[in-house]
Amino acid sequence: MSRLPLEGIRIVDTSAIFAFPYAAGVMADLGAEVIKVEGPSRVEPIRTGMLSGAYPENTPGDDPWNRTPTFHVVNRGKKSLVLDLRNPKGLKVLKELVLSADVFLENFTPRVTRNWGMDWPNLKEMKPDIIMMSNTGYGHGDGPYSDYPAVATSQEASHGLTHLTGYNGGVPSKVGQSYVDFVASWTCLFALSMALRHRKKTGKGMWVDIGMYQLGAFHISEYLMDWVANGKDRSNRIGNRHPWFAPQGCYPCLGDNDWAVLSVRDDHEWEALCNTMGRSDLVNDSKYIGHANRLKNHDELDQIIGEWTKKYDKWEVMEKLQDAGIPAGPVMDSRDMNTNKHYWDRGFMEKVESDDPTLGTRVLMGRPWKLSNTPISIKGPGPKLGEGNHRYIVGELGYSEEEYQELIDEAVTADKPADTRPIPTGNLDDMVAKGVYGYWDPEYRKKLGI
Amino acid sequence: MLPAALDDIKILDISQGISGSYCSKLLADFGAEVIKVEPLGGEQLRTMGPFFDDDPNPEKSLIHIVLNNNKKGITLNLETTSGARMFKKLVAQVDVVVENYHPGYLKSLGLSFEDLEKVNPKIVMTSITGFGQSGPYSDYKSEDIVAYAMGGVMAFSGTKDREPLKHGGFQSQYEAGLNAALSTGFALFGRDFDGESQHVDVSVQEVVNASLVMNQPLFPFSGAVQGRRNPKGTMYTQIMPCADGYFVSQTGARATWDDQVRFYGKPELAEERFANPVQRLDHGEEFDSILLNATKDRTMKEMFKTASEEFQMLFGISQTPEDLSSCPQLESRDFYQEIDHPVIGKIKIPFRLFNITESPFQHRNSAPLLGQHNEEIYTENLGYSKEDVIRLRELNII
Repeated sequence: MSRLPLEGIRIVDTSAIFAFPYAAGVMADLGAEVIKVEGPSRVEPIRTGMLSGAYPENTPGDDPWNRTPTFHVVNRGKKSLVLDLRNPKGLKVLKELVLSADVFLENFTPRVTRNWGMDWPNLKEMKPDIIMMSNTGYGHGDGPYSDYPAVATSQEASHGLTHLTGYNGGVPSKVGQSYVDFVASWTCLFALSMALRHRKKTGKGMWVDIGMYQLGAFHISEYLMDWVANGKDRSNRIGNRHPWFAPQGCYPCLGDNDWAVLSVRDDHEWEALCNTMGRSDLVNDSKYIGHANRLKNHDELDQIIGEWTKKYDKWEVMEKLQDAGIPAGPVMDSRDMNTNKHYWDRGFMEKVESDDPTLGTRVLMGRPWKLSNTPISIKGPGPKLGEGNHRYIVGELGYSEEEYQELIDEAVTADKPADTRPIPTGNLDDMVAKGVYGYWDPEYRKKLGI
Repeated sequence: MLPAALDDIKILDISQGISGSYCSKLLADFGAEVIKVEPLGGEQLRTMGPFFDDDPNPEKSLIHIVLNNNKKGITLNLETTSGARMFKKLVAQVDVVVENYHPGYLKSLGLSFEDLEKVNPKIVMTSITGFGQSGPYSDYKSEDIVAYAMGGVMAFSGTKDREPLKHGGFQSQYEAGLNAALSTGFALFGRDFDGESQHVDVSVQEVVNASLVMNQPLFPFSGAVQGRRNPKGTMYTQIMPCADGYFVSQTGARATWDDQVRFYGKPELAEERFANPVQRLDHGEEFDSILLNATKDRTMKEMFKTASEEFQMLFGISQTPEDLSSCPQLESRDFYQEIDHPVIGKIKIPFRLFNITESPFQHRNSAPLLGQHNEEIYTENLGYSKEDVIRLRELNII
């Protein structure tokens, strides 16, 4: 009942940025002990970099590297251990720690673990029941791109999604935020559930080698198959439209930057839409009978629907259409989501408290699934850099206090980054003016009750 | 057969469409015996294009062939009393049920989680719905675009001068299938210890939102909310045109800004006013025009190779299904699997999501024909005679 699926599992997480770190954050939710390993000169980039977002109250504070929002949502519930892995002494501590663990997560380029003698052939000699999980852009092996550097944004073009995404008839478009990183996060979690079950049955560990490129390609399978089977590329950009159903789109509502979407999938929904818009005359108009006709006359339909949606705000459009049985909803931005009753009632948004009074209580998103008999929750904010150094090096691995002090003196371990400069924080009003943010709401704490 | 993580697990998949089929496909690839239970007319994937030879035959739906690979298939009319009773008998013999019906539909047939738990106290039931099983929107209808709007991605996708934009394809459905597979995996691993049933409740809306690790926490930390990008002067790090297509480039990895300047062959990019991302944005239109000029005569493939190999840049090109169907990298990773399908013959399908040294992805059989395993399952698993099977068919129960 209250036993969490990953209770008793120790995970050493040397990965960085989003894909594996976020998977490991969810592993902490699931009850695992997750030790995040960073280097004094190789601090997790989302602690301080351009990806980390604005500081609490947009104030870097004395320890900016412990304070960025993205860091906390990705690395929630972990422990922190700082080791300089370029130093043989740091690498020795890492190896000892991995030998005490169940799972070793890494996202280095293939040569790194090879040079350390911690690639799979070596690691399985040292510990046959370890589960090693690797994430790279293109996957290990001898393929022509295996050593190419990659991030999710470069990958989303290469794995085919950009070609499909964009305004109707327009140029390809970026798909949003690091999409395939999260596909890799979920694949990592799926593979771990399989690996643990396999290990429980056979006693054997394994190596899971994930390449994000391959994952992204799978998610456009219907278009790959059209080419493989028919030699046709029908992945032309259709914006918000549906390839077979009509109408479907995103329509302007009453307010400023206020939008709602809808999709009509059969004749019942079409009739319901016409009636809701007070346009029952359209139901039997031959121009709009059947999806093929509606697809042909989609531009006209967009006009008609847009004129109706403009009379209401996006929430009213949602209610009117959903009440009539039509899939529809508002375009929700981050403020909408953070304050929305449905998200809160489902427990998707969680209040997470920090010991640091300047961090205080913040709202972090949980997981998109629930297990009815196992309550799962975020165990805490992301760890302060190096807060677990003594606990692991002395307490768990048995180094003496003198040896520990030596590691500090030689900068093998630390509780501050080598570079302590905060990223420049702009004035939020300027950032809005520059288009970095859409807007900012000074009432955010009040609206969230934090 | 090599030992597999789920070779002791049996699954009934009554879902339709991409999300549930993808979930149970992944579990089947790890050795689970998956029986796809379809309505008499077949599941929705069979009506989804593209079709082999553009022939809309339910056995020729190509996405059905990809996502129902490795499964057995039976038909069963759950809306009849006998059909529901037979389903419960099958549930008593399995470990997992995967479904994606509207909340409340299965309850109306006497097949809710609580009903199924009574016939199998260790059952894991995985439900994928637009808004989850609870909360004020649980009864609402969803569709890929609705999940994208209410999951928060559309608000910052596209440009400021136009409407919000969804991702291409059916990404929310694939993402939901993956989340359903992983949560089912952990429910099964947990069950090995405590032997308890679980109802796994997957919300597609939350799945979409769950990828917004930069967007979601920004508001509770500072009140800032991301919008859509300006249409002009923001092209760098977005998608840019070149001689024969489109590419995207990012700063970072081992490439310095000097490396980027050398790659583009435009020394003026080294000037102070382009020195950091904020300055590049401040001089965005000028910056973009220099880049466009630098790349207008270069091809995607040349730039991809040069940027990646000589400059260690983070670089992508907008590849098409054609590019990916003959990609040497995917080939080196054994991504495609050749199958022999009884109706369409030999064909390769996307198959291996990742490489793994134990319990590898194993292809056993191609997607089932409609009702292909009726006789096998109903005689062997439920003890009906061949005559019974014929009678059940006549009564439109199977």
